[in-house]
Amino acid sequence: MSDDPQIVIDSVAEFLVHALELEEASSDHYDELADSMEIHNNLKVAELFRKLGDYSRQHAKEVHARTEGIELPTITPWDFKWKCPSSPESFCMEEASYMMTIAQAMEIALFNEVRGRDFYQQVADNTANDEVRKIALEMVEEEGWHVEMLREWQTSLKEEPPLEDLDPPNMPE
Amino acid sequence: MPVPALKAKDYKSGIKPVWCPGCGHFAVLAALTKAMAHLGLEKENVAVVSGIGCSSRLPAYIDSYGFHGIHGRALAAASGLKAARPDLTVVVAGGDGDGFSIGGNHFLHACRRNMDMTYIVMDNEVYGMTKGQASPTTRPTWTNSKMTPHGTGIPRFNPAAIALAAGAGFIARGYSGEPKEMTRLLVEAMEYPGFAFVQVLSGCVTFRPDQRGWKEVVHPFINDVPTRDRIKAAQIIQADEGKATGVIYASPFPVWQPDNEQVTELSLLEEEFCI
Amino acid sequence: MNDNNDVSQSNSSFSVAITGSGGSGAVTAGRIVLEAAARCGYQGLMTRSAGPQIRGGESAAMIRFAPGPVECMGNHYDLLVALDWLNIERFADEIPLTDKSLILCDPAAGDVPSQLRSNGAEIREVPFKVFASGLPEGRINMVALGAMAMVCGLQLEALEASVKQILQSKGEQVVESALRALSLGYNHDRRPMQAPLSPADQQDTWSITGNQACGVGALRGGVRFVAAYPITPASEMLEWLAPRLEKLGGSLLQAEDELASINMIIGSSFGGVPSLTATSGPGLSLMVEGLGLALVSETPVTVVNVMRGGPSTGIPTKSEQADLDIALYGLHGDAPHLVFAPLSIRDCVFTTQWAVQLAEHLQTVSLVLTDQSLGQSQAIIEAPPATEMPWRRAVEATPDRDYKRYQITADAISPMTLPGTPEGMYTADGLEHNEYGTPSSMAADHREQLNKRLNKLEGFDYGDDWAEIEGDGDECIITWGSSAGVVRESARKLKQQGREIRIIAIRLLAPLQRQKLSQALEGAHRILVVEQNHGGQLFHYLHAQGVLPKYAESLAQPGPLPLRSGRIIRVL
Repeated sequence: MSDDPQIVIDSVAEFLVHALELEEASSDHYDELADSMEIHNNLKVAELFRKLGDYSRQHAKEVHARTEGIELPTITPWDFKWKCPSSPESFCMEEASYMMTIAQAMEIALFNEVRGRDFYQQVADNTANDEVRKIALEMVEEEGWHVEMLREWQTSLKEEPPLEDLDPPNMPE
Repeated sequence: MPVPALKAKDYKSGIKPVWCPGCGHFAVLAALTKAMAHLGLEKENVAVVSGIGCSSRLPAYIDSYGFHGIHGRALAAASGLKAARPDLTVVVAGGDGDGFSIGGNHFLHACRRNMDMTYIVMDNEVYGMTKGQASPTTRPTWTNSKMTPHGTGIPRFNPAAIALAAGAGFIARGYSGEPKEMTRLLVEAMEYPGFAFVQVLSGCVTFRPDQRGWKEVVHPFINDVPTRDRIKAAQIIQADEGKATGVIYASPFPVWQPDNEQVTELSLLEEEFCI
Repeated sequence: MNDNNDVSQSNSSFSVAITGSGGSGAVTAGRIVLEAAARCGYQGLMTRSAGPQIRGGESAAMIRFAPGPVECMGNHYDLLVALDWLNIERFADEIPLTDKSLILCDPAAGDVPSQLRSNGAEIREVPFKVFASGLPEGRINMVALGAMAMVCGLQLEALEASVKQILQSKGEQVVESALRALSLGYNHDRRPMQAPLSPADQQDTWSITGNQACGVGALRGGVRFVAAYPITPASEMLEWLAPRLEKLGGSLLQAEDELASINMIIGSSFGGVPSLTATSGPGLSLMVEGLGLALVSETPVTVVNVMRGGPSTGIPTKSEQADLDIALYGLHGDAPHLVFAPLSIRDCVFTTQWAVQLAEHLQTVSLVLTDQSLGQSQAIIEAPPATEMPWRRAVEATPDRDYKRYQITADAISPMTLPGTPEGMYTADGLEHNEYGTPSSMAADHREQLNKRLNKLEGFDYGDDWAEIEGDGDECIITWGSSAGVVRESARKLKQQGREIRIIAIRLLAPLQRQKLSQALEGAHRILVVEQNHGGQLFHYLHAQGVLPKYAESLAQPGPLPLRSGRIIRVL
């Protein structure tokens, strides 16, 4: 994210729409991964993604609560101010695989959570609006807590070898 | 009481996709539902039509009317539907094999017929559903299929060039790794009055894991796009290696749409046979 | 091909053939004769034959008229009108003559070919060319027409009225000249060949081809969208339908191929508009995968297959009933559907309407097997009455939240929602599915939906229209489609000889009405299955269905020559 141009959001309403979109996209994304893993019988990883989806949903709910009484602008899907191609917590789709291990799943999650945290941090750094900064920093703290938690999980994970597909796709020997 | 606006999520059917985790098609599904939400489409007035292949599973995942037909014939079914029901928003989805190989003829004629519909081809340069054979867009030297162990040895099909030659008025290329941009392309395509063709580079993580590298090579067009100039569009398409994204060509053409009013009764028409 | 057993050259009908090379106007003359016959109170039939040239080759118009229904050509021709002799040998097989026949020809065209002399027909010369060249824009076909009318006893006034009707678009001068030519030919040699046929009561008559009649039936059945690809001999149906669909608020889409046309009508029908396509054998072959899709997704469609000589490109301009096998068995998987065959040109109206409305009601595929001889023949028929049929597509306009597109119901028909209906969204699928339409590969779902698709067809009461049954003799002919005409003629002739023949002409071929057919066969101690193909396709089908006794016989004659009553009578 460091090479992205500066993100400047100076209105609380605009910021909340961004936060809402980020958290909702994130929960949708994790849900989708969880569904997909379930369909492919990778139940442990599915459980992890389901849990992460729940966290994001909880976040979205909290953001939603903050929008009470605020008239929210409509932002077209491609006009959100994050510079990455999708929303910050919904990247790295193609790194997923039906054979992925918990550790690999954790890496994707960590990557996304860090990007989410960084987005809020940038907003806080660049805004001229104190209220926006205040909320953004609260979110940085929450996302930071997620990141920490994920790191703890990660270190507590037992070393496990990458799974091997014993019935590999039709590739030449 | 005003009906609350639908969100992207509301356009998903709840059926869990059979796609592999990491498949680019998830991003197309997300972008399409975002585009539908952005356009405020009423779900019941949308029909998503497809053929056969991984990507052709899409209609079931959208909460609208859908037709999951047979291999290669999605554009034909969609054309009949649109001819009979001009009031519907028709979206056609499929893959590179479905659209450019077995359905190639329909692709040509749908381009020139220019009915008002959006055709999304999720191009992963491989037949996924049949487990990894070369498709018309596979590079000739790709040897990872047992069916073509020496590669296909024949040049790739250039979808944008052929769409242009066949008379399509809207040609765009997107990338599953850029869902935000893809959403914009799909909205523009759906707003375009006529046949809008969107090729989406949508990687296959299972049979073409090499396509994870696409994010390093996909880039926006450096040319001044979109153009309304056919000759310029042809140059842009031919000059590019197939990994540049954006709307390439957008030029309005007369839309073909029968929409006749009844002006007589059958019994009167039958009088022509009377002696 | 000479039949000794001939009874056609009697006063019950009159058969005339007009031949000539490209541009000589044989076909126009034929149309005028047919229409004049209609004006004289007759019914009739005109078929055409042409050489392989795209345009301008030799062509022949064969006309037969009679006081009652005419459903086939006779065994022989009473009259041959030769406008010239170029390539006439090509038609010799198709236009059998006897020593009772008459040949009208122009001495200026040269000698009568020996092939035609050999049958002993009388030759009467009329100077067509001399008469025509004496008139401004004089045409030999009009001179011949006049001479012909005298020979066959048609009233000059009827002929004049038809000339005015058919040539009016060509301008007054042409009509005027034609009327004078007509008169010259008519008065040249005033010896009629036979006493005029006794005219029937004037009734509401139509002049129509089988292809047009299918078009009328389709429109009566509610078809408002057609997608199709041109093919001989079905194209005229499409050409007739296109402008008329527009006037009725519908449309016809010329598709890029037959794969497109079948899938287009599946799309339009999914949208709620009764839809049809018309084709011939090669086109049907291409459509078969689409038929399976329509059947499994329960999207009603009707396909009219105007059969021609097959397999492959075969004999595109000639008739054959050889597509029964593909119509019955062409689909992969267990794929019950409806197969119909109109029994005459007039019946094309009823049967096509029935097929469309049953496809709609049963949400399935209807195949209608007509053929070139029905499709491209022009007929004078008693106007088919408008038939009100109650069968419509069951549409669910107010689905509840738990709407099941493929719900198992008592009659196995599930009301369908149409796009635009809130809460009724579903994805139609060629994949096997459960009641909701969700793809499923579960054995239970497969069995349930297979049963549903079978039961809705087997459980439906098709009434008495499944066949036309005539007579109650011990000798029985079973036939289908266009062959019914010549079978009925054979039975009439045998009746004159005191033999009563029972005819079962099957209109609904699938699902076969086994019980009704067995009942209809009761007491028959001789059974002959008559059809125009090489393999005896109906014969074998009926055996496979277990409705034929061992002693049943097959009379299967392939195209391109038409089945003639003489052949059938000989076999019996």
